[in-house]
Amino acid sequence: MRIVSASVDGFRNLKTASFTFSPRVNLVLGRNGEGKTNLLEALNYFALGRSHRGAKSDELIHFDQSHLHVGLDIEEESGATLACEYGLGRDGGRRLRVDGEALRRRADLVGRLATVFFNPDSIRLVRGGPDGRRQFVDQGMAEIDPVFLTHLTAFQRALKQKNGLLRDLKKGLTDLSTTRRELAAWNRELAGHAAAVCLGRWQYASFLTPFSNESHKSLTDNDLQLDFSYAPRLESVSKAISEAAENPISKDDLEREILAELDYIMDSEIRRGRPLIGPQLDDFKVVLEGVDLRVYGSQGETRTAAIAMILARSDVLFQKRQIRPVLFFDDIFSELDRERTRRLQEMASHLHQVFIATARRDDIADWQPEHMKTWQVNDGEFSEI
Amino acid sequence: MNRPGNGKDLNEGGEFQSPSLERLVRSLNRLPGLGRKSATRLALHLVAGSERTTVPAEELVAAIGEARDKVTNCERCGAITEPDPCRVCTSERRDTSLICIVATPIDVLPFEKAGFYRGRYFVLGGLLSPLDGVRAQDLPFGKLQDRIAEDEIKEVIIALDASVEGETTALYIQRLLEGRNLELTRLATGIPVGGALAYTDEVTLQRAFQFRRTF
Ligand SMILES: Nc1ncnc2c1ncn2[C@@H]1O[C@H](COP(=O)(O)OP(=O)(O)OP(=O)(O)O)[C@@H](O)[C@H]1O
Ligand SMILES: [Mg+2]
Ligand SMILES: [Zn+2]
Repeated sequence: MRIVSASVDGFRNLKTASFTFSPRVNLVLGRNGEGKTNLLEALNYFALGRSHRGAKSDELIHFDQSHLHVGLDIEEESGATLACEYGLGRDGGRRLRVDGEALRRRADLVGRLATVFFNPDSIRLVRGGPDGRRQFVDQGMAEIDPVFLTHLTAFQRALKQKNGLLRDLKKGLTDLSTTRRELAAWNRELAGHAAAVCLGRWQYASFLTPFSNESHKSLTDNDLQLDFSYAPRLESVSKAISEAAENPISKDDLEREILAELDYIMDSEIRRGRPLIGPQLDDFKVVLEGVDLRVYGSQGETRTAAIAMILARSDVLFQKRQIRPVLFFDDIFSELDRERTRRLQEMASHLHQVFIATARRDDIADWQPEHMKTWQVNDGEFSEI
Repeated sequence: MNRPGNGKDLNEGGEFQSPSLERLVRSLNRLPGLGRKSATRLALHLVAGSERTTVPAEELVAAIGEARDKVTNCERCGAITEPDPCRVCTSERRDTSLICIVATPIDVLPFEKAGFYRGRYFVLGGLLSPLDGVRAQDLPFGKLQDRIAEDEIKEVIIALDASVEGETTALYIQRLLEGRNLELTRLATGIPVGGALAYTDEVTLQRAFQFRRTF
């Protein structure tokens, strides 16, 4: 999949402009603060339905404007083209359209524009807390399985409700006798979605591992084994997974086991006034030759592992849905050695359309891929060179 | 932050040179499903429309007042009605052993419009949703149990939303009624009539598949 062209109006500091991109390598050069990340953010917004930096609509609109508009022409794997656009206004207005038709649900957006984004924060995937790893896996699985996304959304909603109920109970707003039965109902609703979420995460980790291992080997040119594996918080899930080889997991059985585990801990949850166990506490292990990189990895090792995992996400997407996402590299090469940088550039641009933003020309020194387009940006104004 | 371009507070008095018109627009705007634009159009129509096309204000005010006075919730089933109990609850032709549980009075309307349902209703008045301050103690579950005992109900049909709150409320009711000698059923979900298979979302399709039936 690739972004053929784009038009940008009123997005952060970007001057109103149209772009025609290379199907392969697009390079954006410019000093700090000129607008490189802003362009990548504008393009990637349509993939997520939000800013990858977590910015609010108001922050995305140019200081002097009341709204912004971005149009993207996307070419799918089949060769079909989609005219995508989005508009944001200071009045809170937000419209996303594909071929003139408005998108209403979050699920409508998934997979329209598939992208994978690398920036210096990517290292947090290995180094940071479990929430980053959960989000990575959830997003990856949602991309290939819409039913998973529905369960995940429902799970999160039901968890919030249960949390609210436990809080009310602790504050004395509701009485214990009816609340027990009510908690049991929320647990039943949660258990079904939790089983689907846990199974999805487990599957995704198993899809990902062979690819991340392979990417890691190509990036480093060594033979170290990189393993990415699911570390569920629920005992019923750990048990089911460890026995899965002899005893294939049935979702209904797992749901029953999870429910028993949730109900068992109900009294403690009532005392503490919040949910204590569940997939919301899941983690994933990243292990290089037996060493847990979350704890022991060096800067370079963690960074390389994170990149290998993110690249693997694109391989899984291709394996399951025959989609090659667009890759964005924002300021990522400065901390890799020259050899790894070059390998990554070759690997990425071999099969994908890539966008590279950097302040240092060195990062791409004497790399001359075919079909490369280069822009220089000054104060939000882009000129092709 | 007060950046130029954020025009929100520039025209504090509203867009009209009339505080009374602004007040009317704001009141209409508070109605569900009526945005500021439609509220403005309606207000202008009511205030400045020609006598031939608009409803005289007195008539509108009187109609709203009378409806508010007379319309009530049926004390037996909770449906919206003028006679209390409602006609469904008093009709001889309704099957008294059948009860359909819905979330709001509005949910009764499609059933009655379609006309195939021969039983009675029980309106919960909401769904379990602690985040909105609705807990089991806030819904009439006691009344539901009394009703089932008094009317010797044989079948309870749960017709609640397929949302997380609807599902949980259904699970709660199921547990509540467990052990009674009655049949408990739920509405099926699936592909809408006239809906094209190719355009059915994956989740609906999966459910329709799961609850498929034999010919
Ligand atoms: N809403 C906005 N309106 C106008 N300008 C904005 C807005 N939001 C951000 N900017 C400006 O955009 C400029 C460029 O930001 P951007 O993050 O794209 O820089 P960059 O080229 O990626 O720099 P670096 O190399 O430091 O990452 C910043 O100077 C910032 O002040
Ligand atoms: Mg930047
Ligand atoms: Zn009635």
